[in-house]
Amino acid sequence: MSAETSAATGTGPGTAAGGRLAARGLTLAYESRTVVEDLDLVVPDGRVTVIVGPNACGKSTTLRALGRLLKPVRGAVLLDGEELAKLPTKRIARSIGLLPQTPVAPEAITVADLVARGRQPHQAWWKQWSEEDERAVTEAMARTDVAGLADRSVDELSGGQRQRVWIAMALAQETDLLLLDEPTTYLDIAHQVEVLDLVRRLNRARGRTVVLVLHDLNQAARYADHLIAMKAGRVVAQGAPSEIVTEAMVRDVFGLPSVVVPDPVTGSPLVVPGAPWEES
Amino acid sequence: MSAPVKDAPVASAAPAVKGPGARPAGYGLLRFGPASFLVHRRSVLAAAVLLLLLAAVSVAYLCVGEKTFSPGEVLTVLTGGDSPAAFVVEELREPRLVTALAVGAAFGIAGALIQTVARNPLASPDIIGVSQGAGAVTVAAMTFGLASYTVLPYLSVAGGVLAAALVHAFAWRGGLHATRFVLIGIGIAIALRSLITLFMTKGDYLVAQQAQIWMTGSLNGRGWEESAPVRWTLLLMLPAVLWAARAQRTVSLDDATATALGVRLGRVRLGLVAVGVVLASVATGVAGPVDFVALLAPQIARRVTRTAQIPLLCSALLGALVVVAADLIGRRLFSPVELPVGVLTAAVGAPYLIWLIVRSRTGGKA
Repeated sequence: MSAETSAATGTGPGTAAGGRLAARGLTLAYESRTVVEDLDLVVPDGRVTVIVGPNACGKSTTLRALGRLLKPVRGAVLLDGEELAKLPTKRIARSIGLLPQTPVAPEAITVADLVARGRQPHQAWWKQWSEEDERAVTEAMARTDVAGLADRSVDELSGGQRQRVWIAMALAQETDLLLLDEPTTYLDIAHQVEVLDLVRRLNRARGRTVVLVLHDLNQAARYADHLIAMKAGRVVAQGAPSEIVTEAMVRDVFGLPSVVVPDPVTGSPLVVPGAPWEES
Repeated sequence: MSAPVKDAPVASAAPAVKGPGARPAGYGLLRFGPASFLVHRRSVLAAAVLLLLLAAVSVAYLCVGEKTFSPGEVLTVLTGGDSPAAFVVEELREPRLVTALAVGAAFGIAGALIQTVARNPLASPDIIGVSQGAGAVTVAAMTFGLASYTVLPYLSVAGGVLAAALVHAFAWRGGLHATRFVLIGIGIAIALRSLITLFMTKGDYLVAQQAQIWMTGSLNGRGWEESAPVRWTLLLMLPAVLWAARAQRTVSLDDATATALGVRLGRVRLGLVAVGVVLASVATGVAGPVDFVALLAPQIARRVTRTAQIPLLCSALLGALVVVAADLIGRRLFSPVELPVGVLTAAVGAPYLIWLIVRSRTGGKA
């Protein structure tokens, strides 16, 4: 475990050059409200990229656009140099998996049934189940440690178990790229760590490219190879956490005075709010 | 069902990757060469039981009436034997039975599809304005003396599709929000209902009474000719329904997840709703808006089969069962006075609706 994490936070790649997934001049809006403007980024292959930023900075919106859930107003998301909006959605689904912030399972669905639905992009109406599907689902459930829950109803699982089931579904899709939108929301700290460790293992074991949106800057710094800090719809800083997480960046992005110290366990930057609590 | 339903995971899969429950629990696998189909076992069992029930109720339907025959006599007639019961069974009861079966199945499937898309059990065609749209056009035609029973179904489809388009237009906001869709549907349904009342007051007394009975949902006097549109529509829609059964698997997930799985959600939903609206409208045109069948059948079917999405085949069978049973009781309960079938389905449906709502308040998801 410690070898894994130190590898992550040691000499991570700087601003990466090679990436199958990239955004160019991306402008995103909900109706007439522009949320992200003229954004450029490259998702480095085989790395864990984490997008952080204050509330409403456009980080989730950006992730949704990377997963073609949101059509850009201007600019484009590129997958292998091709515009996402012009690719058949099923083809995209064989390359990019995405787990939304609050996925909703149909009532009374079993774990194995839900995970099996991740195979959708590899199936056809007349080809509903193959040995390949069987293998992918079994592997996904083993990797996320939910095989023992296979016949249970998703409704009756704990938050942490449920999140692992959803990740298993996204894994069963067997995509090189995996986008996760705040996968730790609503989880207690132990389950947060469990999920993030799982994500790291997936990345290390398979060289899968992972993009996460996280709320917690310290978790982001601890788990990211490549960190992207956003503010008001723009990228303010990106690079290895050890290079970009500084007191100046935290003040600039979050408006918070802080002290940045090394994480006593991993050595990654740890942000501690700078001013002591005061009675007003 | 000629191919064997395999129980164990695919035998040839390497044991190393064979794990517990890799195939969704409760599903069997049918293979035909390169083609493979997942079959929900409990649904197959439920369908078999429902078919038996349906056969029994259908025979009872043919037996019971002003003149009652024994099942033996009815079976003789059905198998082409000579019997004094032949005229009553074949000419009077059988056409009406077939109409009831077809109308019930159509409502069952329509309800299942529209409820799936809206992710809300309230979103059945008789609640969100489809039946009322079909009704408004039909009653208008009746009032102005333009309609015969053979033309009504086509007018109904026009009305139903129009109402659905209207609901869609108002509910659409860069996407389809389920609650918004249902609420606007209910609004449109109320508006159309008052339009129907307006037409009825404009027409003469006899037509208004006829329209009133039709609006309750009645199978009285429906024969082969009258039921042809709904039978043909069911047959023509069969491929679409088979497609829909598969599409439901992903549409029943949330929008983002379904899209991420490569589903063209907008198109798929439109397709599912279109099939549902056409089926509901045609059935409404033939028998009037038989209340609550489209709402009830899919919800009961889902509870019976315990599937994660609403099962189409069982919804169709349950729809047929409810309509046939309701009509059988309606014909006999206050004999010789006949109750329109819609009165009975409403009498069962209304309490069920209340139960659904109460249950959803107390924490269970509806």
